[in-house]
Amino acid sequence: MATEIISLKDVSFTYKGSKRKALNGISMSVLEGECVAVLGPTGSGKSTLACIMNGTVPCFVEGELAGDVTVDGLHPREAGTAHMASRVGLVFGDPDTQLFGMTVEEDVAFGPANLGLSYEEIMRRVTRCINDMRLTGLEKRAPHRLSGGQKQATAIAGVYAMLPKIMVLDEPTSMLDPEGKAKVFSIVRALKEELGVTVILIEQEVDDIISLADRVFVMSAGSFALSGTPAEVFSEPEKLRKAGVRVPHVVEFGQLIGASSVPFSTEDVIQTIETGTWSMAAPPRDPVAGQPVGAVSEAGIEPARSASDPDPLPDPAVGEPVIEVKDLHFQYPSGAKALDGVYLTIRRGEFVAIVGQNGAGKTTLTRHLNGLLRPTSGEIRVLGRPTEGVPTTELCAHVGYVFQNPDEQLFCTTVAEELGFGPANLGVAPKIISARVEALLSDIGLAKYSDVWPKYLSKGERQRLALAAVVAMDPEVLIVDEPTTGLDWLESRQILDYLERLWRQQGKTIIIITHDMNIVSLYARRVVVMANGKVVGDGTPQQVFSQPELMAVACLRRPAIAEITDALWGEVLLTPAAAAARLYQRTSSHAEVDQS
Amino acid sequence: MIVEYESKPTFVHRLDPRVKLVWMVCVILVSVAWTHPLYLAALGLSVVAFGLVAKTPWAKLKGVASFMLVVAAIICLIQGATYSVNSVTLRDPERVLFHLVPGWVPGVNPLIPVRVGGFVYGIAMSLKIFIVLLAVAIFGYATSPSEMVQVIARIPFIPYQVGFVLSTAWKFVPVVQVQMRTLMDAHRSRGVDFEQGTFPQRVKKTSAIVLPLFANSLTMADTMALAMEARAFGHSKRFTFIRPYTMSTGDWAVLIASLGVAIACIVLMVTSRLGAI
Repeated sequence: MATEIISLKDVSFTYKGSKRKALNGISMSVLEGECVAVLGPTGSGKSTLACIMNGTVPCFVEGELAGDVTVDGLHPREAGTAHMASRVGLVFGDPDTQLFGMTVEEDVAFGPANLGLSYEEIMRRVTRCINDMRLTGLEKRAPHRLSGGQKQATAIAGVYAMLPKIMVLDEPTSMLDPEGKAKVFSIVRALKEELGVTVILIEQEVDDIISLADRVFVMSAGSFALSGTPAEVFSEPEKLRKAGVRVPHVVEFGQLIGASSVPFSTEDVIQTIETGTWSMAAPPRDPVAGQPVGAVSEAGIEPARSASDPDPLPDPAVGEPVIEVKDLHFQYPSGAKALDGVYLTIRRGEFVAIVGQNGAGKTTLTRHLNGLLRPTSGEIRVLGRPTEGVPTTELCAHVGYVFQNPDEQLFCTTVAEELGFGPANLGVAPKIISARVEALLSDIGLAKYSDVWPKYLSKGERQRLALAAVVAMDPEVLIVDEPTTGLDWLESRQILDYLERLWRQQGKTIIIITHDMNIVSLYARRVVVMANGKVVGDGTPQQVFSQPELMAVACLRRPAIAEITDALWGEVLLTPAAAAARLYQRTSSHAEVDQS
Repeated sequence: MIVEYESKPTFVHRLDPRVKLVWMVCVILVSVAWTHPLYLAALGLSVVAFGLVAKTPWAKLKGVASFMLVVAAIICLIQGATYSVNSVTLRDPERVLFHLVPGWVPGVNPLIPVRVGGFVYGIAMSLKIFIVLLAVAIFGYATSPSEMVQVIARIPFIPYQVGFVLSTAWKFVPVVQVQMRTLMDAHRSRGVDFEQGTFPQRVKKTSAIVLPLFANSLTMADTMALAMEARAFGHSKRFTFIRPYTMSTGDWAVLIASLGVAIACIVLMVTSRLGAI
């Protein structure tokens, strides 16, 4: 029988200088060899929980800790982080801040070298960990030359090389593209199943967790809102939504069709349909908006697309070209070729998602559109005018660019100043600026923070502010680079809902760069797929998701529901609600045929 | 000048870091000792040859080279106008080359003569600066920060943490550079033109980057420190180096050549003024 390896009893923690408890009387017990997933929105206390397990909280990050924490027989607070490091390995979300060696091999050796182990023992561990984390062949490569997934695998290998019994992974996939995420999850599976390590996995990617974790804890405001086996936790989708956690497609679909048991995988769903262990007496209702989903069009995409907006305006009409890119080539000064003959036309009123793996050229392409980068060869036209010789400071009035990291684009001392910064540079009259600032503060829900330093806002709030600061310049085209990185599902929806409002109500042309196919399926009307500096696919989300070869070339994974509907009926639907409606429609028509 | 290590499969890259350090120090010592431009030019050529073997990314040095040419011109003019040389090699060091205020300006007599001796001395000074910068750049491009740590950490009585902190700071420089570029791009995307305006206005615009850059760097440094702590940094007084340095034949050859040539040059300079102006 497995023994208890982590025990938390009535643990509370308050950061120094804060009045709010980051953890509020939580208790948990983890058995040796278990894989425990911790879900929850940002700011719910997940990272604090992770840091308590190896003692960085409160040894390194100060604050007031109450309750009893025992990890592998030790009290981390008394043992100290460095001592706990050989028992508890902690991996963070951003691999760039946790790689210290000049080569993969050196980095993996860093932890054991700090323990003062012999050279022979270190190299034995390095060889083993590199092999276990599927990094063989990359030993001598510089970490900054690795892909995102390989970097994170190196970070995990570096921690694992200290042979801890427990691995705590704090959102290890938050910065990765789908291929990188898949690699990390395969490693986590190996840690659990092949190496017998106890894994605490803090994640937002619910689709992968559901089949990986032995138990799931859902955090909300420093407490556990839900806990149990995946079957227990995911059979409570309403509570999950309330806690700000995205319900996996398979679970949502199972709920909509009245599946007899909670499906955990696409295979479970297909089996449920094929064995008829479901019952749907009436047309399914959208689980978020509570509205009837309605009939599915032949294209099968429209229903439930905007679940957050029960009565959306119709899609804006698509107009004349606003962006034209012809045979665009770009080479960085280092010689690296980033764009290799891109052709792309974007019309007024489009909502476009540009997708592709890291390094495909997405950001390089979009940075050309407001002049931050200049073509090595080729032509770009914005609103019919060539951009050659037009400075960014002029183009930005037409093409707004929101960077991935909000902290790299917030410079002012208050939220209100931040919103007024761009329009003031463009010479907009102060009265108009004041009116815009006031309207935007209310639009993005930050009115009460207008005099606050942006750095004090949460990540989601900072991201909304960064977006609104560009919207304040009233550009025709809005480019948003990875708007949901590091955000939880609710925050991601807030950002995308805001973009959708700008698109529908103000007729803005929206271009987003994203790795999140769930976001693509919910919001985008057109998907541009990039790989190796070229546009390799272009179409509606359905058209793109209907081409598995294209998805493979771009190293992307289509949403689970697209997989299911393609497997069941040979057509791609984008939301569980649309799929449930299709199932209802098909069953009703079969019943009518039978009756007649 | 910010030098970022570039991993390349060259003979120089493969050299023991201690040998590269000795080479660099030797070059600097000889360049300090010599004052004759021809000798210094020969030394400079040897440094360039070493850089060619190391496949030094010359294009990255263009900016600093252009700046240094301006500095060199200023040094030559100032030395030429102000410095009087007791030369053992120049025939007529006091000969006037030209005047800073030329005689052909109507109504003005020629003023501030630039003399051969001082001008040639200015060339020598400029070459010294070029050579030192070049040697440091070649060393930096061909020696990884972790190699430097190992060099520093193997100096007796210096804790390995000191070397590690230095190398991390070194690695941090390009990261901060990227951050700064992104911040400037974000400013441009919101209508800030860094090239427009008076000097104080431009300084004000650029200084707006400092606060977010500082705040972001602190956050990043904090996360790195947390990650290092979680990997037992500082746990043991002993740190095991995984690169056992053993001197190859090439290492010995470069070491002996560097030390031999440097000692010979300095001795000859002191005893028979070989290399003096």
